[in-house]
Parts: sequence; structure tokens; C-alpha cells
Amino acid sequence: MGSNLTPPQLRRGGLNGGDNPGLSQPPWWRNRLLIPWLVQALVGFVLLLLVAFLLGNLVRNLTAAGLLLSWRWLGQPAGFDIAESVLPFQAEMPYWRGLLAGLGNTLRAVSCGLIGATVVGTLAGMANFSSNGLLRRLVRVYVELVRNIPLLLQLVFWYFVVFLSLPNGLAALQGPGVVLAKSGLYLAGFHNGLHWVGPQLVNDVWQAPLRLSVEFCALLVGLVVYSGAYIAEVVRGGIASVPAGQWEAASSLGLGWLASIRHVVIPQALPVIVPGLNTQYISLAKNSSLAVAVGYADLYAVAETTLNQTGRAVEVIILLLGTYLVLDLLISALMNALNQFVRIKER
Amino acid sequence: MGNSLTGDLPPGFLQRSKDWLRRELFASRVDGLLSLVLIGLILAALFGLLRWALLQANWAVIQLNSTLLCIGRYPIEHQWRLWLLTFLLAATAGASWGLLRSCRRADRPGLLWPRNDRIAAAVLLAVCLITPPALGLSLAVAGRWLAIAGLLLAMRWLLGRLGRRLGADAIKWFALVWPVTYLLGMVLIGGGFGLTPVASAEWGGLMLTLLQASFAILLCFPLGVMLALGRRSNYPLLRWGSVIYIEFIRGAPLITLLFLGQNILGFLLPGGLAPERVWRAAWVLTIFAAAYLAEAVRSGLAAIPNGQMEAARSLGLSTAQGLQHVVLPQALRVALPVMVGQFISLLQDTTLLSLIGLMELLGTARTVMANPDFLGHYGEVYLTLALLFWCCCAALGLGSRALERRLDPHHLPNL
Amino acid sequence: MIAAIAEEATQSLILEAKDVHKWYPNGFHALRGANLQVQRGEVVVIMGPSGSGKSTFIRTFNALEDYQKGTIQFDGLPLGNDLRHIEAIRREVGMVYQQFNLFPHLTVLQNLTLAPVLVRGRSRVQAQQRALELLARVGIAEQAGKFPGQLSGGQQQRVAIARSLCMDPRLMLFDEPTSALDPEMVREVLDVMQGLAADGMTMVVVTHEVRFARQVADRVVLMADGEVVEIAPPETFFTNPSHERTRRFLDQIL
Repeated sequence: MGSNLTPPQLRRGGLNGGDNPGLSQPPWWRNRLLIPWLVQALVGFVLLLLVAFLLGNLVRNLTAAGLLLSWRWLGQPAGFDIAESVLPFQAEMPYWRGLLAGLGNTLRAVSCGLIGATVVGTLAGMANFSSNGLLRRLVRVYVELVRNIPLLLQLVFWYFVVFLSLPNGLAALQGPGVVLAKSGLYLAGFHNGLHWVGPQLVNDVWQAPLRLSVEFCALLVGLVVYSGAYIAEVVRGGIASVPAGQWEAASSLGLGWLASIRHVVIPQALPVIVPGLNTQYISLAKNSSLAVAVGYADLYAVAETTLNQTGRAVEVIILLLGTYLVLDLLISALMNALNQFVRIKER
Repeated sequence: MGNSLTGDLPPGFLQRSKDWLRRELFASRVDGLLSLVLIGLILAALFGLLRWALLQANWAVIQLNSTLLCIGRYPIEHQWRLWLLTFLLAATAGASWGLLRSCRRADRPGLLWPRNDRIAAAVLLAVCLITPPALGLSLAVAGRWLAIAGLLLAMRWLLGRLGRRLGADAIKWFALVWPVTYLLGMVLIGGGFGLTPVASAEWGGLMLTLLQASFAILLCFPLGVMLALGRRSNYPLLRWGSVIYIEFIRGAPLITLLFLGQNILGFLLPGGLAPERVWRAAWVLTIFAAAYLAEAVRSGLAAIPNGQMEAARSLGLSTAQGLQHVVLPQALRVALPVMVGQFISLLQDTTLLSLIGLMELLGTARTVMANPDFLGHYGEVYLTLALLFWCCCAALGLGSRALERRLDPHHLPNL
Repeated sequence: MIAAIAEEATQSLILEAKDVHKWYPNGFHALRGANLQVQRGEVVVIMGPSGSGKSTFIRTFNALEDYQKGTIQFDGLPLGNDLRHIEAIRREVGMVYQQFNLFPHLTVLQNLTLAPVLVRGRSRVQAQQRALELLARVGIAEQAGKFPGQLSGGQQQRVAIARSLCMDPRLMLFDEPTSALDPEMVREVLDVMQGLAADGMTMVVVTHEVRFARQVADRVVLMADGEVVEIAPPETFFTNPSHERTRRFLDQIL
């Protein structure tokens, strides 16, 4: 043991010292098998205490306020109106119909937003690889501009600055089959399911088979522009993940830019893009709750009014959180299915 | 040389610009057409914006309300405390900047004032010179802003000099100055310790925005790291607890959580213990941000090979020591860009506080526009706010990229 | 000095693994009653086909892997569920990995001083002194200020060896230390290991380097299918093995 690698002074801390440790049992807090249980028991105990403390307070305070959990108020008449609704709703209908109408409005905004943001994001993401330098730089400006400004600010900007400053009546912006005025967006459509009718000015008020409120338009444009920028980055990342050799191979086969991106690059980029899209879609669904800032009666807006009228804070928030959770899970499930599809195709 | 039409330009400059234009804008007939259309659109947009900004917009709404937008309805007689705090922050920031720059690594000696730093200093001075007159502030106030910029740069210069002598350990110790400054700032803003209290309901504007964001960023960090470790733990209870927390928070829109904080927190705590509205919002933001930060940290942890922890353990380090000295420093470095991204969104998310009736920047702006004198000046106010947010967020992003480059060079495992 | 060590080696057992069984969580039976005794000052080389459990076996010696049946004793200390023993053994047993596992965010010097300062409670100055000595010994004293990513593979592995030596271990485990290296760098690492062996370090080495085994090993072990098949001095092992399995293995690698 005379080696210079093991100086004797380092022998402290007793591997060899003391009585034969091989025969002694370790104390329970130094037993490798027990430690996981000890830690978990401790953490579990603390968590349990915390939950018990909070729930205890909740029950006590709610009882004192006479607001103990009950769902009966859902059946009482709401008493408020909803300006526009996919599902029919009037003030004398019960609260649950109101919340349902709000959910309908949320679903409309989310589904339209998903489609719009996907189109905008895909185009913008692909434009990053355009041969036109100006277009590439313009897309960078778009993404950097949108990502560094709060969505809520963008929404109120679209609503108060852009849509509310539109003219009404004859001065409104008019296109073939489309009229955009302060009172809304008017689209051509089938009247009575028979004849094709465009927007018409009747007594200085526009009328058309299909009218979208400016609130909805502002929300939709805001969500599409915002999520579009994030989706553009997801698409860009996905395309960038395809090795450069694939582009070269495609162009050496004589494929043009559009053909190579469509037939060679996108199919390989999709497995990378889809998970990123999932995240963006979910955040779009959650972001739609900012509709309340532009006066669009989505689920959150209706829930807020309901709470203010009934004082049923706990029930309303359980409903709200539960609904958004289900919405997220729904989107995730759809995107997972798409992911599977994309992967199988890749193989 | 020098007697041709191109003058002092390097030879071939015109040719190179022509090549560049052809390559970037007119590579093909389609590209050329597209470029022309885009140039037309950009010019039209710029022209419209300029015409509006110079001829139609009424910027008095910003000039007259700049103080309100900055600090809300904070009592005038106590405003000196905020000035003091700003000076303090400028000194601390300048000192940190100088120290960070001075700690050059042995293998990469750097300049004391590299190009980026000179640009940053120039921008800072320019902003402090131009903004006060543009806002129509008094000479005294303008002088103060200039003094603040001067103090920052002076500290930057001083510590840049001193730092080389103090060595790398100085940075570690200096990191402690920030929490102290923060606590001092809280006292200056809120009062106490001999200062007249100013109720949190009177805080507002940009100050409240920054306060909320910084509070949440500071506190969500330890919470987020713990949650990330919990999610990767071998212990099912810790893992599932973290997963449920993270996924529940990430599944809910922030506005519903803020709503929950305002309406239910009072019920969850014994009477009288519930914090004021501003603090409720701050805690909800913290809890919210922690879940997202945990995911960022988790991605960083996942990037560190198992061998690192094994090597630490076979050297005799305990799990906690291995995490503290080996795994976390690397994981946080990997996660830095994502984390800064989360912090940027958190700063943006503070605007949601206006929806629950707090007077942060957007909330104050809304009260400004509700004033009959300034009715309808949405464009001016919102564009100013957008510019402000854009600058803050872009600066954070730039800073994080600079920090990343500084921390990175060869440090990633070369596997 | 060598003679003294040799004499002691005959007397004192430093590591004893008896009938060690390990099942992975997926049910794979990785070790099936492996046995090994290592004397103080001895160099044991473990060879065997891939998947034979060599790495798993030496990873059980400092509790990086647990085992379900059998006993392992280090210097009389049983390696079981007592964390005090595990911590003590890890302090005294050094390990060098195929992938070096240097800490990329720390300089070479910081890599070497981290554990002595944190675990042994030495002062920073003391630890740095010892670290520089050991760096000089593995021949890279001039790289102390660099980061691992700036070094070649061979240099990194030598730093890893020095890092383990900084803890003044009584036993060094090497898990295929040259397998991840470019061929021209293998020699420099093996030379360092040979020097260690000459100085009397007790070593257990998992490797495919036949020349190293022939020159340095006191005994060579063949593992196959989670069992120790043959233990013999190198001359016997390579020229006249007693087991058919060893012969087949040697046919494949020689």
C-alpha cells in the first residue's frame, strides 16, 4: 500500500475503520430501498396537507357566503343578450343555453382561425425558401413584428383602429360579392337556398345572405395574423430539417421550385411540422379567449357575465377550465391521428 | 484609382450591387414581377403610414399622458422614489454589463468596447436624447434621463475596467446584487421602513407591467426548475404531481387563470390572508409561467447525456451536487433560448391584466382613451404601446442571443 | 516497492463479487452468477463478446447498476442498500468511461478539482495543486485552462483518467476506455494506463485491446452470457485457454 496514489491520510471516513460494518443494518433513512418511499411519503403528505387546507377554506368560505357548490342556477333564465350567436339564444333562455352559445361562438372562431392561420403560416413558412430575396426578408419582418407585440394589443388594434374606422353605407369597401363596412362583413350567398344574391344597400344599410360582425372579423384577423407567424416558424423549421441534398436531387430531376417543395420536401418535413402545429393550434384555441377584449361573445365572455350575475365563481371556473381542457385534448387527439397518418405514409 | 465615376467605392461595387439585385430580386421573370409588386405595396404602405403619422395623427395624446402611461396614478409627491429606483437600476445594469464584458476567457481575449457594445451605448444615448423632447418633457426631466443613461454607461466603463482585476468570481457575487436591488425597489415603490406606504392599487402603467413581469420571472424560475426535475424523477408521485400541474396549467388559457385568481383565491385562503388584487395577479402569473418554464428546462435536461450524472456520481458527488454543479448548468444553458422566449411571452402576457381591471400599460392606455379629451385616438396610443413592447421584446431577444454566444463557444458535449 | 505491493497483493482482497445476478426491468437476465476477486495492486482485464455483460458487471462495482442476487464487497464493505457504504465506495473507486463523460461546461482544471473540493472537502488551492501534478503525469499539463471540447479524444480520455485519480482512488474501473478513440490516439491512453499499473494501481479494465492485456494484465477474464467463463494469466489465456468458449472468442478477435 505504499503507492503514491493512495496516501494513507485519505483513508479517513472509515471504509476499513470501526467495527465490521458488513454485519450492521443501515439506519432506515440511509437505506437505498426505503428512500424512494420516504421521499414520496413526505411529498405526498405535504401535498395532502396543502390540498386539505385549501379545500377546507373553500368549503368554509363558500358556506359562509351561502354559495355551496350547486348546479341548479344553470337552469335559471340568463337575462342577458348575446349579440351574435351560431346557436339561437335569447335573454329568457337559461344560463346553460347561454354558455352553450358562447361555446358555439368559440368553436366558430377557433375553427375559422385554425384554417386561416394554417394557410397564412404555410405560405409564409414556404416563402422563407423563395428565390426572391425581398419576399424572404418581408416574411422575416412579418414574423419578428408579430412575435414581439402582445396578441391582446394586436387584437384591440385590429378592432378599434382598423375595423371600427371603416366607413358605412356607400363608402364601404366593396368587391365582387363582398362588402366590408363598419357594420360588418357582408358576403354573397344563396338566398332561400335558391338564387345567388350579393350584398345590397337597403335604406343605407347593407344586407346580404351572410353577415359577419366586425368583432368576429377583428378576432379572426388578429388570431390568423398572430398564429400565422408562429406556424410560419414551425413550417420553416420543418422544411429546414430536410437535408439540402433532397432539394438538389429534386432539381437535378428537373423539378421546379413548387414541384420540389410539394412532392419532395413537404412530405419529409411533415413529421417534423405536425407536432409543432399541435402546440400552435392549442395555443390558438386558448388565445381565442381574448375575444372578450373586442366584444365578441365567446365562451369566456359569456362565463364572465354569468359569474358577475350569479356570483357562482367556483362552478363557472370549473366549467370554463374543463371546456378548454377538453378542447385542447380534442385538438391533440386530432393532431396525433394526423401524426400517425403522416408517419405511416413516410414509411 | 479614384478618378472614375465610382469615386471612392471599392472596385466592382456597382457590379456587385447589380449582381446582388439580380440574384435576390430578379432571378427569374416571375421573381422580377413579384419584386415589383412587393416594392409597390411596401411603398404604398410606408407612404400611407407616414402620411397618417405626420398629418392626421394627434400625438398630443401621448405627450400629455406620458407620465400616466409610465407610472399610472402614482402620487406625485412620492415620484422621487421611482427616480431613485431608476438610477439604482441603471447603476446595477451598467455594472453587470461591464462585469460580463470584462470576464474574458483565457482562450478568447475580447475588446473592452466591442462593436456591439458601442452600438448599444449609442442607441441608449440616442433614445435618452430624443425621447424626452419628442414627448415634450421639461428640461429637468430630460436632464434626469440623460443622467440615467450617463450613470449606466459610467458604471459599464468602471466595472469593465475593474472587472479584469476582480476576476470571474466577482460575477457570481455580483449576481446577488440584483435580488437586493429588487427588494430595495419593492420598498421604494411600496413604502415601509420609514417611507410612506403607497397602496398597490395606485401602481400603474409601464412600471406595473415591468413589476409584474419581473416578479413572475424571478419566482417562476426556482418553481419551474423544481417541476422539471420532478417530471423527470424516478419517483412516480413526484413525476405525476409535476405532470398534472404542468399539463393543467398549460391546458388553460391565462385569462381564465387570472379570472380564477381574482374570484376564487379569496375563497381558498382564510379570511384576510388573501393578497390584494395586484399581488393575486402576480402570483397567478408566476404559477402560470412556472409550468411553461418547466417544459423549457425539461427540454434542456433531456439534452444532457446520462453519462454526465453517472460521472458525477462515480466521483462521489451526491445527486444534489451532481444536479447543481454538473447537470443543471449545462441544461439551463441549452434551455436558455427557449426560456428567454417564455420570458418574452410572459412580458407580453401582462397585457391580459388589463382585462381583469388592473392598470398596467394597456389598462392605463384604455383609461387614457376613455378620457373625453382623447376619445378615438386609438391608433396613436396602440402604435406607441406596440413600439414599446416591440423594443422591449426585441431587446430581450437580442440580449439572449448575445448571452448564448458568450456562453456557448465550445462547451456543448461533442458526442 | 513493487515487490512490497506484490507481496501484499497475495494477502489482501480489495474487491470480491460472488454469484452476482442482475435482471433489467424488462426482464433481461444480464448477469447470471458472475464471480470475480481482485487483489490489491492487481490489473484484471475483462474481455468478451459484446452483450456478454462486461460493462454491466463493472458498473455494479460502484453501484451505477444495482443487482438482485449475490454479494459484492469492496475492501470488506458490503455493497448493498446502505447508502453510507455506496457513498464511501464511490469515493474510493474511480471510473473511466468509453465516452469520457468530461463536464463540457468546466475547464480541464475545474473538471479535476470539482469532486475533491466538494466530496473530500479539500481547499481549492490544494485541489488545484494535486490536479496539476496529475495532469503533468498524464502529459497534458499545458491544457489545464481549456475546455474539454477543445481537446482531442485521446487528450480528453487522459483528462478523464486524471479526474478519477484526483480522488485518490483505491480501485480504478475502465469501461472500454479506448473504444471511442481514433486509432492513432489509442496508444497514448494505453500508455497512461500502463504507467498507472506500473505504479501499483489496482485496475479492472474492460477492453478489446489484446496487446494491452498481454503486456499489462495480471489476469485476464472472459465473460460470456453474463457469466465469468475463464480467469487466467495472460500467457495461458491467449495461448492455452482451458475453455472451448474462450478458444472460440480468441479465434474471432485474433
